[in-house]
Amino acid sequence: MPSNVKQFNPGSSVTRRDFIALAGKSLLTLTGLLSLGGLARFLSFQSEPAQPSEFNLGPASDYPPGSRTPIPQAQAVLINQDGKFEAISLVCTHLGCVVNSVETGYACPCHGSRFDQDGNVLNGPAKQPLQKLVLEETPDGGLTVHTK
Amino acid sequence: MKTSTAIASAALFLAALAAAFWQYRRPAPVALTPTLTGQVEYCLTCHADLPEISPAHPVETFGCVRCHGGERLALEADLAHSTMRGGRNPSDLAVVEASCGGSDCHSGSLAEERDHIQRVRTGIQATYAGAIAQIRYTFGAQPDAIARYGIYAIEAYQMTTPRAVPYLDAFDPAQESSQPVKAFGEQCLVCHLSVDALPGAPNARLTGCAACHTPTANTDLEKPVHQLTTAMPYTQCNTCHNRGNYDLSAMRFVPRNDQPADRLHDYYQPIAQFVRCEWTLDCVDCHTRHEAMGDGNLYSSKKDIQYVRCYTCHGTLDKLPLTRTISDPNDLALRMAFLTPVIDLKVGDTVIVTEKGETLWNTRQLQDGTYELFGKATGQRLTFRPVKGSACQQKPDQQESRYCHECHAVQR
Repeated sequence: MPSNVKQFNPGSSVTRRDFIALAGKSLLTLTGLLSLGGLARFLSFQSEPAQPSEFNLGPASDYPPGSRTPIPQAQAVLINQDGKFEAISLVCTHLGCVVNSVETGYACPCHGSRFDQDGNVLNGPAKQPLQKLVLEETPDGGLTVHTK
Repeated sequence: MKTSTAIASAALFLAALAAAFWQYRRPAPVALTPTLTGQVEYCLTCHADLPEISPAHPVETFGCVRCHGGERLALEADLAHSTMRGGRNPSDLAVVEASCGGSDCHSGSLAEERDHIQRVRTGIQATYAGAIAQIRYTFGAQPDAIARYGIYAIEAYQMTTPRAVPYLDAFDPAQESSQPVKAFGEQCLVCHLSVDALPGAPNARLTGCAACHTPTANTDLEKPVHQLTTAMPYTQCNTCHNRGNYDLSAMRFVPRNDQPADRLHDYYQPIAQFVRCEWTLDCVDCHTRHEAMGDGNLYSSKKDIQYVRCYTCHGTLDKLPLTRTISDPNDLALRMAFLTPVIDLKVGDTVIVTEKGETLWNTRQLQDGTYELFGKATGQRLTFRPVKGSACQQKPDQQESRYCHECHAVQR
């Protein structure tokens, strides 16, 4: 060992220069790993998934004639009127609040619009009836409702 | 490796560590997609603890950005708030159209009475045209008390009375040659909808719609109040209307120096007379939305728009109060009763109306010929009977409240 190189720890073979070099490389490596982690997080960012607009309601046979079945996940109600299916949105056509089922039909808790059982306006402020949704019957007898 | 290089490596590592720690500490974004806008916003990441502002404005439907503006996807407070409208108060009249407007909201049609913004902006509480006209007339700056100036320049929303003026110019005290008028402009424009509240908790109010509809009276204005209501307690009206008087000799506002401890003594200024129902009720129980928010005309005096009197509900010796029976399920009275559910008003009910046709929707005529009234803020039910058929000897041409107070005033 040259006489001008200081030992990091007397009795040890690691010099101060070696230690500084090792520490520097280690820190650079860790910095790189942290940066890679940040980059991976940035690249793996996923924006909010779009709101689903298609809902599988299961077999049509689950909804007997005369039934009115709320479909909360679709904010809709499925109506089986003598074997003919219909889906009505429960989103108020005034400003978009979800209407509640009441004795006479549906009532908006936000501004008081009321609709009959078929979604027709009984009183405003809503001017348009509740939206009729597209209902699809699959070949295997299932029902799918589309909210958009 | 040189020592300086190692130090630089250490600094770089610490910076990376700090960035990682900062990312780790940042809360996970809380997304909300309001049905009204259909656009995701992250405001609830920090503001999930705010109470819903009103049942008519649920956050799931409106979100935050529709009313407040702001950067909906930002997670840094400064950036998120950088484009908010009106700071914390989106109802300030300078921005209210963007915040609360829209034909389905508060900027709709005259026919549907959904034109709140147009009426308020032309209303005398916003223009302050009455006080300005009176002062300019009193000190010789104009030959009559007809309004020419308002806090801002504005055209009439509608003109349905010859007492109204078609437009107002912006009042600029610097242009006034009369020293008292100039002083008025500099020191007395403290009670209109575009100016901040006077200091003190009893005066605490915001500007714009929130001045009335956000109950901040006797609170610390620094603490946010996230509420809108149509059931304003009298204390909110008192933030402007019962705080003191103007001293015209010194041209300054002199606050009340008494400290009322109860509703009775807080209600009116010390010299005023009033009957029991007046301090039992709240201002909004009798005074109508047109009186408070304006009817679209630009008036020169409060007297041109404030018209409800004792006889509106009690009638006169020879006339019962005006009433009408609700027949249309879309009647405005039902809409109002829905928003402030203190009365189960329904089609077929008979309610009191004013001579201008405004419905006092919190009243109802009863089968026995008496009437009931529900306090909007208190929910209390009061019954009352008409003057007609009573022992009252009121002269037909003396129907102002001061004449009623001659017999009915309470003593404090």
